[in-house]
Amino acid sequence: MPENVKPLPSSEAAAVLGKKVRGANGEELGPIVDVLVDSDGHPLAAVIDFGGFLGVGSRKVAVDWKALDFTSLGRADTVGLGLNRAQIAAAPEYKPGPPGANVVTTPSSPLPPVDAHK
Amino acid sequence: MHINDPPMSAVAGNSKPKADEGVSVGRGLDGLNLFVANIQTGFGPFISVYLTTQGWTQTAIGTALSLGTIAAMASQIPAGVLVDAIRNKAVVAFASILAFSASALLLAIRPTALWVYAAEVLHGFSSCTLGPAIAAMSLIFAGPAMLGSRLGRNARFASIGNGIGAALMGACGYYVSERAVFFLTAAVTLPAVLSLLPLTRLREQAPPPSPGKHPARAPISGLLTNRALVIFALCAMLFTLGNSAMLPLAANTLTKEAGNFASLLIAGCIIVPQLVVAAISPAMGGLAEQRGRRLVLLIGFCTLPVRGILFATLGHPAALVLIQALDGVAAACVGILVPLIASDIAGRSGRYNLSMGLIGLAIGIGATISTTFAGWIADAFSTRAAYVSLALVGLLAVLLAFGAMPETRPAPLDLQLD
Repeated sequence: MPENVKPLPSSEAAAVLGKKVRGANGEELGPIVDVLVDSDGHPLAAVIDFGGFLGVGSRKVAVDWKALDFTSLGRADTVGLGLNRAQIAAAPEYKPGPPGANVVTTPSSPLPPVDAHK
Repeated sequence: MHINDPPMSAVAGNSKPKADEGVSVGRGLDGLNLFVANIQTGFGPFISVYLTTQGWTQTAIGTALSLGTIAAMASQIPAGVLVDAIRNKAVVAFASILAFSASALLLAIRPTALWVYAAEVLHGFSSCTLGPAIAAMSLIFAGPAMLGSRLGRNARFASIGNGIGAALMGACGYYVSERAVFFLTAAVTLPAVLSLLPLTRLREQAPPPSPGKHPARAPISGLLTNRALVIFALCAMLFTLGNSAMLPLAANTLTKEAGNFASLLIAGCIIVPQLVVAAISPAMGGLAEQRGRRLVLLIGFCTLPVRGILFATLGHPAALVLIQALDGVAAACVGILVPLIASDIAGRSGRYNLSMGLIGLAIGIGATISTTFAGWIADAFSTRAAYVSLALVGLLAVLLAFGAMPETRPAPLDLQLD
């Protein structure tokens, strides 16, 4: 293996795009379709494609990265979120670009709106 | 989903000497419409759900879907010319369905860029050959006089196929996996091919032995200057522009406001119109035969502004599902009239499928603009403003049809000559 390559075992890191998010009651909310990061590259929010039927009527919603629980990712290929369907449904729709996203947080993880383009 | 709306044919009317053969051809067309509509459910918006689960980015999904749209639009005219040139339409249908299987299998087995693009292009092109081929077989089977009834029946079976498809594919995606939907889609191409077997006997009659001077196929320029065809294509484009963003907009509202039952209600919004189409298409086909095309066209078009205004004013989730019944009325009328009016205009000129391609292109343009247009209005103003704008476009379609669209139903005398 070349010197500039180091192994990153699947027990330490996993892909998140397309992974399904499950809500507080185990209900399926939708897949992660994008990640918003700050200028250091740290993730601040995940964009979830929420709801819909056969691809019709889904809405993109940004949720606070800290509200997500990735411990089930290796085991069940899903990501946990301490919110239920009604709380996600009420959130404003995520639109890329300025002025930025309104991020849904859990009561324990307050976070101001993210300006994705600063 | 407009591509699979088209044709149907009249079984009862054809019970002459070869009654048994007529029955089996009619049943073949029934099955073909049902299974093809079933297959088409998996393609469309569901592809983006599937590619998302495969780790595709939104940008890449957008590229793949745009490629499919462009392929479908660019194929309309060449596909029409091709289908006109091939006398045995069952062969065209067979090849198109095989392309659907290949496309579904590529998506299921190889969801990587190159293969997904190939699948999208393949599906886009074969949709453009299959719709016209089914319409052409219906015309050969039913004849111009009974085509309205046959198309009504085709629409009935296609909508049953759409409804079953939505329920089946939705359940498959939810309980099994998104990938399984495309294996199921590929599996459904088998019964579609079996339905084709009795249709292989259909042969297009030799070009009309008409008043000598006509060449085998009318010149293409004649179509482009045909007033009825151009007006109808414009009407169909305006109608689709007002129509196709309406369901996604209503579904989006449901996701936001209908809580835990949103997905179920959206399924209702998709299935309710199919039930209506299944119920009324044969009657609408008969009406087009007996009372003319204009009446059916105006009935269908008028529902669109009404639906837009109802969506804009009634917010209750259950009301949205009920209002979708109007979509079924419009879908039944337009689904029957596209192949029927194309047949009135070009049925015996050897340019039937090209005419359908032209109308298909106009519909494709309308559908593409519709989503962008409605999305822009909804963002800049409000969802309600978007409904009202779509309703106004629908009203324009009504006015254009009322003011400029001629009646194209052949005079009864002409029909007896067949």
